[in-house]
Amino acid sequence: MELPILFGVRHLSPAGAFHLRRLLDTVRPRLVLVEGPSDLSGQLPDITRPETAPPIAILAYTQAAPVRSILYPFAEYSPEYQAIAWAHEHGAECRFMDLPSDVFLALGSARPPVDQQEGEARFDAYAALDAQAGEDGHETFWERTLEHATDPDAYRLGAAEFGAQLRDLTAGREGDWAETVVREAYMRRVIEDALSGGYAPGEIVAVTGAYHVEGLKTAAPMTDAEIAALPREPSSHTLMPYSYYRLSTRSGYGAGNRAPAYYSLLWQGLQKGSGSWAAESYLARIALYQRESGTSVSSAEVIEAVRLAGSLAALRGSGRPALRDLRDAAVTCLGGGSFAAVSRAVASAEIGSAIGMLPDGVSRTSIQADFYRQLKDLKLEKYRDLTAQDLPLDLRENRNVKTARSAFLDLERSAFLHRLRVLGVSFGQRREVEQDNATWAERWVLRWAPEAEIELVESALKGDTVAQAASFQLGERVEAAAGMADIAAVIEDAFTCGMAGAVTCATAALQAMAVDAAGLDDLAATAHRLSVVVQYGGVRRLDSAPLEPILRQIYLRCCLILSTACACDDTGAKVVAQSIERVNAAALAHDFLDNQPWLDALTQVARRDDLNTKLSGFAAAILLERGAMDAQSLDLEVRRRLSRGVPADLGAGWFEGLAMKNRYALIARLPLWRSLSEYLDGLDDEEFKRALVFLRRAFADFSAGEKDDIAENLGELWGLNSRQVSEAVNAALPHESQVLLEGLDSFDFDDI
Amino acid sequence: MDHQKVQRLPAEQLFQHELDALIAAERDAVPTGWRMSPRSVRTYICGGRAGSTPITPKYIGSERLVEIAISTLVTDRALLLIGEPGTAKSWLSEHLCAAINGDSTKVVQGTAGTTEEQIRYSWNYAMLIAQGPSPAAMLKSPVYRAMETGTVARLEEISRCASEVQDALISILSEKRISVPELGVEVPAQKGFSLIATANTRDKGVNEMSAALKRRFNIVVLPAPASLEAEMDIVRTRVEQLAGSLDLNAALPAGEVVEKVCTIFRELRSGQTLDGAQKLKPPTGVLSTAEAISLLANSMALAGSFGDGRITDGDLAAGLQGAVVKDEDKDGLAWKEYLEHIMKKRGGKWAGLYRECKELNA
Repeated sequence: MELPILFGVRHLSPAGAFHLRRLLDTVRPRLVLVEGPSDLSGQLPDITRPETAPPIAILAYTQAAPVRSILYPFAEYSPEYQAIAWAHEHGAECRFMDLPSDVFLALGSARPPVDQQEGEARFDAYAALDAQAGEDGHETFWERTLEHATDPDAYRLGAAEFGAQLRDLTAGREGDWAETVVREAYMRRVIEDALSGGYAPGEIVAVTGAYHVEGLKTAAPMTDAEIAALPREPSSHTLMPYSYYRLSTRSGYGAGNRAPAYYSLLWQGLQKGSGSWAAESYLARIALYQRESGTSVSSAEVIEAVRLAGSLAALRGSGRPALRDLRDAAVTCLGGGSFAAVSRAVASAEIGSAIGMLPDGVSRTSIQADFYRQLKDLKLEKYRDLTAQDLPLDLRENRNVKTARSAFLDLERSAFLHRLRVLGVSFGQRREVEQDNATWAERWVLRWAPEAEIELVESALKGDTVAQAASFQLGERVEAAAGMADIAAVIEDAFTCGMAGAVTCATAALQAMAVDAAGLDDLAATAHRLSVVVQYGGVRRLDSAPLEPILRQIYLRCCLILSTACACDDTGAKVVAQSIERVNAAALAHDFLDNQPWLDALTQVARRDDLNTKLSGFAAAILLERGAMDAQSLDLEVRRRLSRGVPADLGAGWFEGLAMKNRYALIARLPLWRSLSEYLDGLDDEEFKRALVFLRRAFADFSAGEKDDIAENLGELWGLNSRQVSEAVNAALPHESQVLLEGLDSFDFDDI
Repeated sequence: MDHQKVQRLPAEQLFQHELDALIAAERDAVPTGWRMSPRSVRTYICGGRAGSTPITPKYIGSERLVEIAISTLVTDRALLLIGEPGTAKSWLSEHLCAAINGDSTKVVQGTAGTTEEQIRYSWNYAMLIAQGPSPAAMLKSPVYRAMETGTVARLEEISRCASEVQDALISILSEKRISVPELGVEVPAQKGFSLIATANTRDKGVNEMSAALKRRFNIVVLPAPASLEAEMDIVRTRVEQLAGSLDLNAALPAGEVVEKVCTIFRELRSGQTLDGAQKLKPPTGVLSTAEAISLLANSMALAGSFGDGRITDGDLAAGLQGAVVKDEDKDGLAWKEYLEHIMKKRGGKWAGLYRECKELNA
């Protein structure tokens, strides 16, 4: 039986697109068949609408979890896209002819997602090809051999030969060979159907991967029974805008290409009928980028780069430079031999920032529909704009309006924006609010970029509505959580998203994890987050009561392990001090937390001599602040800590810890300074030098004003004029003292 | 001149048979002023075959860099090779000239004392005073001669030259002509003229090249060998060649010896062990591949003259000591740390070398 004209291409190949169009112009077929999921032919009219701008992609995904997806990206220079466009322009019929997407998804269920898999499964064959091609691997080989082919037949025959050879190499050996056979049988069936549907072989052009050309010639068409036996999995699909950046990050045959912006230049060059346009344009773009970022690049250098690229290509026996030659020429002539100098310009010229566009309302996923509905409900539509706009929110009830809905409009807006943030949709950026602790106020900067639309479509895999997807995402995070603090962060997010269900679910996970031992810092961080949620959750109209038991449990555990955690070195002490501060804040904030165990634990730390002295001092400072230590016991403690016989570094370290908090109260206590003064008087020379180093450190971050106040104290004690003392304390050290002190810093205390 | 007695033959004489074979087997177009096609030049540098003659690789490293260098010269641009000391800059430049012109001897050695005359031309003063300016009284610089003959001149260590000397190059490279006001003539460069300059990254800032001059060069940065295997390959090949020309009465170093030296050099150079597990203190010296080569040649000389002709750990230790410890205080410390922390723990085949090194540092 006679077959239609088979045009084997490489996906995302400008030369393929160009020669395919020329062939279509000559043959003028009535039917164009394109390799793509045949159940999605309904998307074709949307692809060709005038408002549609590639890159775009068709995304099909399973409805049931775990969600798997397949992606068909189209760039302007995709042969498939140009074939579809040609058919539209010339009134020819166009159909997809590959396996339906639900079959694809079902076939792929036992394997990793198809879009990754295509690259991996063919990897071995391409590795062999890379070794043969000798140069920079098969990409460069392909570009030199076929992308630069000017003769239309050369491309078609060359690509078909390339595909046939590749096929010989991989036949039966690849992981997805069976799938290939099934696909080809199906495509053959579609072709048969078209032939029996009244099209003559000469009236049909079938565009397919070069790999399949041989297969289509020999495959037997699939029978009805076979088609009925194909596995299927319920799936949804959508058309989505795509970006060059995303194209470049997907590796593997068909699914992406490394330098979409450059390939688009090649396509434009072909349109202009100039073989060298792309090369010149690529280098000129790099030069322009360099100039715009402040590096001077002369036209003479660009000319030299073009010439160098040309002679590099000649060395490989090719008339036109390939991307590799161009990049090396740019590095040599524009970057002074260093890639780092031009790397950003190269990225911009090779990858670019182009983003596709779809007309409003074109095949929306349910999550997009939900998003736009909410945008309207929440009166946020005017923010769907490329320019960034400010949106201040007041989460409190607005009592001046009639309906409950508008009374809490801002609260719902906030929850909506937080859900998008959790999904990673870059629509709103949260800014700091100027007024501290204004938990009812939020400030957002909203900007709608096409990237956000892409991110939204990708979220379609997680759920049908924004809320569902966010809840799914939070669930994933709970499962992946490495520690309690991670889950606490999820709870915080769930609260800001206003999702009670997710809060409950995360709380249960937290409870399970809290049973296992955890370090003080993890516990304290968790307590801190939970405390914030419980404290301010009210404004979000969510019941925080379920969180109270778990917070109590964590808090209690903090009290129990505090003294053990305080036995650490000075580096660890910083973290512990932060944890103490956090637990203390939580203890102060909530009435349902019993403060006594905490104060007991702190007292124990403050009293004990075998713990980190800095932390003992810090604990004393907190007790002091909370009024749990009276002046008398402080005085006693100061004397004990600073008595002779206690090594000077420990004494001074304790004082450093004490001074970490609440300095004002400290400064105001005259007896303390008296004790300190007496302590210093009692030291002998060597001990004094030693104490000096640590005390200096303890006072290093006191402000000038605080030093003034200390000076006043000391003046009173020593009977001096407080102003003179203050001058002496605040003045910069004279050079000799500085030298002496530096000597002390390297002082070896071990031998004392 | 008896080639056997010359200490170091220029590349074009050392590899004359390879060059001849390449010219005989030439198939591609030869640029004006060149003796062979760019592809043959690449074969000469990177190795391959010319007809039935095997061509030894001269530069072992990125073939792409060699291609960029050759292509630069095809486009009549000047080529600047920069890199750490001992990354085969001069070596590559010499072989490029040998392949392109069959003459690698038009060299100006850049030093702090290089004058503009050495770049352009000077005079035989006795004749100048006796007869006045005349072509016969003129002493042409290598660059001048290269322009006249349409060949490639070499300028070594360009960054060591004073900036006025560097500036003299600007007009030569952009105008491609040299004017001799004394004789009232202007000598245009013939097709094929170009210049290969080399510069050292360690000399950065000695005499920073002006932007105007840099712009006239295509810059190729030569890296240190990418892997241990590549470096061992280079060292083995070069030591073999050297042993032949220096008449060292010693056996070639065993693979294990080369591996040890390259390992030590690479680890000290990069400041970490090959597996990346341990950081270490790098010494002040460069520890280039070239030094590894001369170290081994040195050890062979020691073994040949004072030993039984086989490199012992003792010979190696003496060489290493000299190569690593350039600055007694700092390097000595770094070297001792390396010995104690890295080499000692390796034990096994390293034990002997460790003992010998330790003894020298006792």
